Amino acid sequence: MLKQEQNDLLSHSGPDTPMGRLFRSYWLPALLAEELPANDCPPVRVKLLSERLLAFRDSEGRLGLIDEFCAHRGVSLWFGRNEECGLRCPYHGWKFDVTGQCIEIPSEPEQSTFPSRVKLTSYPLVERGGVLWTYMGPPEQQPPLPEWEFATVPASHSFMSKRFQECNWLQALEGGIDSSHVSWLHRGDINTDPLFRGSRGNQYNLSDLRPVFEVVESAGGLYIGARRNTEDGRYYWRITQWVMPSFTMIPPRGNHSVHGHFWIPIDDENCWTWSFDYHPTRPLTEAEVAAMRGGRGIHAKVLSDGSFRPVANKDNDYLMDREAQRAGTTYSGVHGFAMQDQSLQESMGPIIDRTKETLVATDSGIIMCRQRLLRAAKALVDEGIVPPGVDLAHQRVRSAAVVLPKDQPYKDGAREALMAQPGVAPASV
Amino acid sequence: MLSESARMSSAAEARFRLPAPATVARTITISALDPAADDVVARLAEGRWTRARFFPSSAVAARAPRVLDEIAGADLAVMVATAGADASAAAAIGAVCSDRRVHTATFVVRAAAVSDAVLSRTLGQVRPWSLMVVIANDDTYVEDMLRSFRT
Repeated sequence: MLKQEQNDLLSHSGPDTPMGRLFRSYWLPALLAEELPANDCPPVRVKLLSERLLAFRDSEGRLGLIDEFCAHRGVSLWFGRNEECGLRCPYHGWKFDVTGQCIEIPSEPEQSTFPSRVKLTSYPLVERGGVLWTYMGPPEQQPPLPEWEFATVPASHSFMSKRFQECNWLQALEGGIDSSHVSWLHRGDINTDPLFRGSRGNQYNLSDLRPVFEVVESAGGLYIGARRNTEDGRYYWRITQWVMPSFTMIPPRGNHSVHGHFWIPIDDENCWTWSFDYHPTRPLTEAEVAAMRGGRGIHAKVLSDGSFRPVANKDNDYLMDREAQRAGTTYSGVHGFAMQDQSLQESMGPIIDRTKETLVATDSGIIMCRQRLLRAAKALVDEGIVPPGVDLAHQRVRSAAVVLPKDQPYKDGAREALMAQPGVAPASV
Repeated sequence: MLSESARMSSAAEARFRLPAPATVARTITISALDPAADDVVARLAEGRWTRARFFPSSAVAARAPRVLDEIAGADLAVMVATAGADASAAAAIGAVCSDRRVHTATFVVRAAAVSDAVLSRTLGQVRPWSLMVVIANDDTYVEDMLRSFRT
């Protein structure tokens, strides 16, 4: 459980909140690159950290993320005309460039300098690894561009999707840290999903429903190790990475691609679930990409209206299938890993009341995660200390699945496996 | 018309959740496994707790039946160890907890200077008897953990 004030602090990420300041220390995924596919394409509304913004790509390919509303009378610039290196408000013709600088006010005299003194709030927007990233913090503290491994491999090696999730970011993240739910909620899919099936690790997973957990502080966040016994007296370890504030990486299975998530607050009651898959040493196959696009693995099939809302959503009871639940083909009755998680996390309500929960020892990863976030936010606000996860070294990580001797710390035995190594296959079982 | 899931997960419906948390009468014991861990446990014992009992390493090392019986009578046995110290007392607690089907969790406090090899020795002693292990550099996380359990 948390005290109410702790729960509020962790859940609220708007401007000038402690968690808001923490999130504004990082480059955050804002859009898929394909959402702004061409110069002068339609602008896209973006809400992040409770700020309403507008993204656009100008006539010369420059990317901008600016205040959604015109400085003049507050019209949404989503209605704007993206033309000749700027976005023009259709109401009175005010025009803004990708930095938010007003470059034209038609009602002003021709040589007026007034436009140069009008500027909308704007944030940098850069493309990397098929994702458009933004940094919403103080410009003088802008960190180097992110170096998550999925964003640095060739484009053919990776796949990224995003989906709209209707709950606070933290309860979604906590699902990513909670390794103990996998053998229950996802048990019906581990051996059948095309992006998971066929690995020896799956058998360890399904034959031991009470893994032993080991949570270890890492420089950027936590390692969450789940161990199971092997047939030869060693331990099978699955080691999840959590890097602040909201990056998780799930241990791989067999020669499947590795995958993970970011959970980014849209506002306090909604978040983006970003899901990536990549393989460091080979391109993804057509079948793999087709499965990912089709909502298999950790991805979800989303509506085609640009909302990125999953096809199975709360409005249709997540297409609950009681027959499949009874038959055990899906444990919860909801199909697919992604929506199995999302349906339960949304059922908690927009922001779960953590003063009432009853945590047990296997929730230690979640407890440590919350405490690390609380401490990092306090250190940032009180002392200006840069939080973990900003340092690029903290981002060059991998999850791993390994078999080790019983007395070996996995942080030691899997030291190299837990670091991103260009051209080296992930450690997997 | 809204689906049941849409209606029931709204902020408006959250107002009708029962105001009281579930009743949890969980007893937790916190035992130091070595002299350095005694400082952590003694400091914790000064706090306000409703259902927690604290044991110094000397009490555990003596393996007094009364102490072990009390530890194994709890719902959760938390052990605190210092990386590099002798944690063999974990076996005494682990054995009685295993017999009585009591969950065990061990918190290993690791100073930054402690090597993996040294940590490995301690882990070798606590792992067979711990269903949950947390390794952290800062011993104040132990209190956070206990507060999170509504101890």
